[in-house]
Amino acid sequence: MRIVNTVPVLDESKCIGCVICSSVCPTLAWSVDRKTKLAVLDEPRCFGCVNCESRCPTYAIKMVARREDRFLYVDPRLVDYAEVEALCRKARFHPEQVVCFCTSSRAEEIAAAILTGSRTPEEISARTGIRSGCTIECSQPLLRMLEAAGIPHRPALGGKGWQIYGRVPTAWEIPESVKKKYADRGFHFDQDIALMEEVIAAPAEPPADASAGHSPIRRLPEAAPETLDFTASNGTSPAGSRQQ
Amino acid sequence: MKRAPIPPREPRVSSYSVDPALIRKRGAQLDGICSLEIRDLFPDQPEVIYPSSKGIAAVREETLRQMSRVDLSRIKPGDSVNVLGSRHGFTLLGGEPYAEMLRAIRDAVTERTGCRRVNLRMGQGLRYREGEEYIRAFKLDSCFSNAIAIAPIDKGIPIPTEIGTLYGISKAYDADWIIHTHNSDVREIHFHRMVDRAVKPFGMSYARLETRSGYHQNLGPRAANFIARAIFDSDFVQSKYVCSAFLMVAPAGIVAVDCDNDLYALNDRVVVAGMKYYGKVVTILGSIDSCIAMLDFPAPVPYVFAGGLIYGNFLGAGHDLFDIEKPLPSYTFYTEAYYGRGERHLTSRIPGINPALKMTIHNYAMIGYPSEFFAAKVPTVVVGREQADLFRHDPQSTGYMNHALVADDLATAAEFARRVTGTDKLLIFDGAAGGFNVSEPLADYLLKVAPEVSRKVDEELLPRWLRQRGMEASVLAAWRTRKYPQAA
Repeated sequence: MRIVNTVPVLDESKCIGCVICSSVCPTLAWSVDRKTKLAVLDEPRCFGCVNCESRCPTYAIKMVARREDRFLYVDPRLVDYAEVEALCRKARFHPEQVVCFCTSSRAEEIAAAILTGSRTPEEISARTGIRSGCTIECSQPLLRMLEAAGIPHRPALGGKGWQIYGRVPTAWEIPESVKKKYADRGFHFDQDIALMEEVIAAPAEPPADASAGHSPIRRLPEAAPETLDFTASNGTSPAGSRQQ
Repeated sequence: MKRAPIPPREPRVSSYSVDPALIRKRGAQLDGICSLEIRDLFPDQPEVIYPSSKGIAAVREETLRQMSRVDLSRIKPGDSVNVLGSRHGFTLLGGEPYAEMLRAIRDAVTERTGCRRVNLRMGQGLRYREGEEYIRAFKLDSCFSNAIAIAPIDKGIPIPTEIGTLYGISKAYDADWIIHTHNSDVREIHFHRMVDRAVKPFGMSYARLETRSGYHQNLGPRAANFIARAIFDSDFVQSKYVCSAFLMVAPAGIVAVDCDNDLYALNDRVVVAGMKYYGKVVTILGSIDSCIAMLDFPAPVPYVFAGGLIYGNFLGAGHDLFDIEKPLPSYTFYTEAYYGRGERHLTSRIPGINPALKMTIHNYAMIGYPSEFFAAKVPTVVVGREQADLFRHDPQSTGYMNHALVADDLATAAEFARRVTGTDKLLIFDGAAGGFNVSEPLADYLLKVAPEVSRKVDEELLPRWLRQRGMEASVLAAWRTRKYPQAA
């Protein structure tokens, strides 16, 4: 679950239209207007990750607190949990495995997003909030889950952006010759595969409620089960509005 | 012997922390705090060149001497060179030793090769403005032809390797040649497990997000660092690589600068020295039966320092972090991933958090790292509403404050922690140079057990750690005597 409580604000007098903000945005919320040569934010797509602010070469973007928090979450109970489980395990994740450490999101949430129509990492991020923190560590699980669902990855913006280039190797793809060559240097390839397979095979249970986090402390505010995205006043009481 | 508290590392002006003026009191200023010098606990710790009476000149002198021993003949006067660095180096002893090593490397390259286009490319963690903050603070932009911070979200470059395509940051490699500069501080033992520790920046600081995610999600906790070796060994990187220069660090300070064309030879010295000198500090901290930790340093939660070790290490200090027969340390992204709903362990191999750690007082730390895990696993009191608010709005840790309490001032937090936990042992992670700031009862305990810890590491643990990595302690001889073979 992602609590979105900040939003970028552009100082147009400093913007040089360099497109770096749109190149680093995980949800494609920024674009540059061809006529004005100024950056433009599609605010509903923005989940407050700060990449644009951090890489803007002219310091034209600042993050400010939102007046109302937004919550992003795709509830795995929206789909048959057996399908969620199957997709996660095919991608070699346990459904309850945490795959985004900034949002404490689990693999099951990515699966639910894919099974309810998301086709790109950017679409999944915009709906779940995954990849809205550091924006880097969860990029491979996104691609592995899409690949397991049979959806090929095409880099965003026709390859002109820098969002995610592609999947990189997993432990299961390390050639035997490589494992053998470095066996005495402390790398534990096969033992780590055994560990990960133990995790993947562990029993899973669907969430009992709309709680996405590590502990029962981290819960969504009460909301209708079908709610995907809603705005809450002061971060506590929801006023539902299905994400478009 | 117990000494007066060591001055803690000063707060830093940064976009990732509260205004230093809001850090009104430091842990070292609390009643009953004393210090222990590392060399009082472990007399066999190596002598340091910094801090010393020679000041920062000692680092420059050592860097120039060691750089004179490496082969720079690949670099021609009209070429360009990227000196690759990592912002971690600036967290050591205030950052000036690392900055001075970088300046001296630049001078050595220019003087010996005639090359004038010597650039600095500063790799970063997860705070993509931090590198430039350090470049400005240490005026490195006036020293190098072009000094910039590089981030894993910047434009990338595919690098074919023997395990498949990985991705580097384009600007890390936009020169004819590269020089790899780092430090031997053990830091994230939980990630690299002292396997190819010196190679890690190729899979992290200089790498794109795909590579870094692959490191933390695709390979496994003890195979992960192979990503770095695969990139370093690639034809692409080898076609640009000239040499490496490391600030050699021990818990008491900077002990040397080590430069070598052969990164793997240097790596062996880094790994052996790390286990030998930091191993005793990890082991003695792991022997504590009960304590409160205090975060009080300008770095993200897991990266605050005490006795040369980071808080992230202390979470697993009771479980022998160097023993790679154990698959998971108490904290690493793989471990965090394997906590299922309701704290359920998805594998029996999760060791759990160091049971001695009863509570953490968060007096001063920075945002910009996924930190919810720490507050979720260890009862945490954050000092100051401004700091709590900063963490609430950190997109990497929006859940941190869901688990933490807030105290208005440090004294209240310390008294609360002592009363609730029932322990008067306090360990302060404040970057005190050359030692620890601790409460007197903890000082007494550490002094009492240090000789036995020292014996155990020397006679039992270190031989096992070395054996697990196919290494010999004798590789340290070159470093300790500083007698390096002349470059061909």
